[in-house]
Amino acid sequence: MEQDRRAQWLRGVLDLCVLGTLARGESYGYQLAQALADAGLGPIQGGTLYPVLLRLQRAGLVAARWRGGTSGPARKYYQLTAAGATRLRHAGAEWSTFAGQVGAILAQEAAGEN
Amino acid sequence: MRTDAWLAALAGELQRHGVGADLTGHVVAEAAAHLADSGDPPLAAFGPPEMYAAAVADSVAGPAPAAPGRTVGPVRLAARGITKRYRRRTVLADVDLTVRAGEVAAVIGQNGSGKSTLLRICAGLARPDRGTVHVAGRLGYCPQDGGMSEFLTPDEHFVLVGAGRGLSRTAARRYGRRDAAALDWAPKPGVQARHLSGGTRQKLNLTLARLGDPDVLLLDEPYQGFDRGSYLDFWHQVFRWRDGGAAIVVVTHLLNQLDRVDTVLDLTRSEAAA
Repeated sequence: MEQDRRAQWLRGVLDLCVLGTLARGESYGYQLAQALADAGLGPIQGGTLYPVLLRLQRAGLVAARWRGGTSGPARKYYQLTAAGATRLRHAGAEWSTFAGQVGAILAQEAAGEN
Repeated sequence: MRTDAWLAALAGELQRHGVGADLTGHVVAEAAAHLADSGDPPLAAFGPPEMYAAAVADSVAGPAPAAPGRTVGPVRLAARGITKRYRRRTVLADVDLTVRAGEVAAVIGQNGSGKSTLLRICAGLARPDRGTVHVAGRLGYCPQDGGMSEFLTPDEHFVLVGAGRGLSRTAARRYGRRDAAALDWAPKPGVQARHLSGGTRQKLNLTLARLGDPDVLLLDEPYQGFDRGSYLDFWHQVFRWRDGGAAIVVVTHLLNQLDRVDTVLDLTRSEAAA
C-alpha cells in the first residue's frame, strides 16, 4: 500500500526529476536511472524511464544524440534544451508550492490528533 | 527470455504498434545499451515486450506541441497550381504548397509521384507546364545526389559555393565546417569529394545548401546513407534552422517525423487521379 502510494507520487514528478538531473549535465538512460536511485527515488526501471525520455524529447524539452562509446555500446545521450530549463524552473516552483500546501495540511492533521 | 529474443520481440511489437522503422531502431538500440550497462534481465528492466512497446507507442502518439515562443513569419515559398507532364503522363496535377518563415513542410508520396520534380520546379531548375512559384529571399537546394564536383575537397566546395553567395573564403570555410560538425562530420583536409562515402557526400550536399543561411531550404531526401545517429542529428538541425526562421521543404519517405512538421503534402493522390 505504502509502496503503491510512493509509485503514484513518483509518476507525477518523474519527468521533472529527469529534467532536474539533466540540468546537472548531459546523460544517458542507465546513468540517469542510477542518479535517480542514488538521489533516493529507489530503482527506476527502464520500462518506466525511457517512455518519459521519449515524451520529453518529443516535447522539445530535451535533445538527444547518439554517441559511440570507446568501450561498450553506442548510447543515446540526453541534454536539457532551453525550453526544458524554462519548464524545469516553472514546474519546480509549482511543485514547491504544492508540496508546501500538502505539508501544511498534513501538519494540521497531526497537530489536531495530538 | 534471453536478451536477443526479447529485443527481437520488442522490434516486432513496435512495428505492430505502427512505430516507424527508424524510431523502432532507436528504441531497440537504447534498450540493448541499457541491458548491457545494467546487466539486468530484460523482463525485470522493461517488462514483457508487448507492454513496453505499447508504452513507447503511447508516448509518441498525438501531435507534438509547438516549441514555446515559436513565431511563424511571412510566406517564403508559394507554389500555386503546379502541373507537370512528361509526355502523356501527368506527374503533378494542380499542386499547391505554401511555406512560411519558421515552418517545415514535408513532401511525401511513392516513387514516381513527382516529389523531386516539384522540388526542382520550386528551385527554378525545371519549368512547370502550368502554375507559378514565388520565392521570397535566398534559396538553398540540396538535390538527392550530385551537385558537387568530384575533384574538389569539401573546403574547396565551401569556398566556391560561398563565393556565389557573397561569403569570403574564411567565412565560407567557417560556416561550412560549423554545419558539418552539427552533422557529426569533420571534413579531412585534402580528401576529394569522389573519395567520400555516400553518407558523407550527402552531408556535404546538405552543408552546401545551407551556406549563407538561405531563407528557403529545399531538401530532397538529404539523409540517404546516413547512419541513425546522423539521421537524428539531421532532423535536430532541421528544427533548429526552422526555429531560426528558415522556411524548409523536406522530401521524405520516412513517416515517423511527420507529426513534428507543420505541413504535409502527400503527392500520392495527385498521381492516382492522373
